[in-house]
Amino acid sequence: MNLEFEKLKIVSKYELLKQFRRKRFYGALVIVILAQILMIGLYKGLDLPTALSKPGLGIIIVDSPELFAIFMVSMTSFAVLAAVFFAGDAIASEFEHKTGYVLFPNPVKRSTLVIGKYLACFLATLVILSVGYVISAIALLGLYQGIPVGILGSLAISIALVFGVLGIAFFFSSLLKGGMGATIATLIIFMVVSPIIRSSLSYTGHEPWFLPDYAGDAVASTYGIDFTKIFGGMISGGGMQGMMTMTPNPVVSFFVLLIYALVTLLVSIWLTKRREMI
Amino acid sequence: MRESIMIENLSKYYNNFLALDNLSLKVKRNEDVALVGPNGAGKTTALKILCGLLRPSSGTAYINGINVIEERERALSEVGAIVETPEFYPFLTPDETLSYLGRLRGMDGHELKSRINEVLKLIKLDEWADVRIEKFSRGMKQRLALAQAMLHDPPILILDEPTLGLDPRGMVEMREILKEARKEKTVFFASHMLAEVVQVCDKVALIDRGRLLVYDSIAHLKRKYRTSLEGVYLKLTEGAI
Repeated sequence: MNLEFEKLKIVSKYELLKQFRRKRFYGALVIVILAQILMIGLYKGLDLPTALSKPGLGIIIVDSPELFAIFMVSMTSFAVLAAVFFAGDAIASEFEHKTGYVLFPNPVKRSTLVIGKYLACFLATLVILSVGYVISAIALLGLYQGIPVGILGSLAISIALVFGVLGIAFFFSSLLKGGMGATIATLIIFMVVSPIIRSSLSYTGHEPWFLPDYAGDAVASTYGIDFTKIFGGMISGGGMQGMMTMTPNPVVSFFVLLIYALVTLLVSIWLTKRREMI
Repeated sequence: MRESIMIENLSKYYNNFLALDNLSLKVKRNEDVALVGPNGAGKTTALKILCGLLRPSSGTAYINGINVIEERERALSEVGAIVETPEFYPFLTPDETLSYLGRLRGMDGHELKSRINEVLKLIKLDEWADVRIEKFSRGMKQRLALAQAMLHDPPILILDEPTLGLDPRGMVEMREILKEARKEKTVFFASHMLAEVVQVCDKVALIDRGRLLVYDSIAHLKRKYRTSLEGVYLKLTEGAI
């Protein structure tokens, strides 16, 4: 057990080194930083609180650190996207690019390899996510002289979201032949399948609390601001109506994401153990 | 346990295709055995099962008496392997790659560092130790594959076409390394190159369509069939693709 834990640390260390050597890591980092700088400019330059207010409907949105924080942390979703790109080829590439011929004949359990890779992808994403939250915190301090306590809950849900996204990407990576296929499949789940189900359920008044992307939206629901008043008004009659009409419960969402992470990671380990290098 | 490798009634189906048909084989400690046969004979499949990369449809295999199917990690602890045309992580250097694999095998510190230098020198990649593998040619990767197989100084080497992709000088150097290694190791390797087999091994196991046709010493086969190893091969595999 102890020996296997040592091997887990070794796998994580070298997988992390691999991630840090990839251009996609730095690409994702630059995108998150630019997106946040852009958001600061848009929020202040366009005076979004006033733009979102609908006095005719009695909706007056007042600028606050909490509202600003919602817009800022929404930009960290790029970090979550990065997780998909880190994890999509984590397992599949061992088979697709034949690196498994060198790695697998070593006396290390496949479960150790999968968990080690998962942890490395998580840590790489966490670096980008942390940079996003640090920029948010600095901007809040600079503009509002304070940081809402809700940012901690938001960070916790972001971390759970990363775990969940990585789990789903690992599931596809251990199931599908290619890393690109696994990446696309994960993105389709988050950007197409889940939103369609979510939208359909929302129209009929059912809260899609079990969907990963809905649960992920809880990163913005820890500030005590009701989504539906802000975004529901903004998109009235628009194509996205129905998607923003409910506010996910942060606690439920946190556990939903962790369950996704755990179940998909376990299935990924099982699939990888069974997978043959043909 | 006198046998380093023991294959018992091994069969392997790929869907409906029978790649290995009840193959049985024993390789004694410090023996050097070449697995030869036509394309698609099942050589690589057998080696992959021995390295835990494939599961057999039936039968089993042992390394140093340890069942590879049931105790893969323990069985592979004393094996160094090259299977098919291995690839390496392009973002790592040979030094980092060997350090990674060595640590997974329980090596560490000065012992690992000096062994990495030793094997890199042996395969003549010492000047490339800190260059990312993405810049490497096929032959350089094949040299690195041998380095990782020899890194932990395993008593058993399982090698699949170890000279594949090497230039003539690389082939000669690889054979010299294997000739040196066979003095104290069990070498079980698959090859199409019979000239290479004669230089490196004492015995051959000739398989075709997943079945063992003959398993004997090269000297005995030559005497029995009154021809070269190539002649024996052609005679026994007549009609094969």
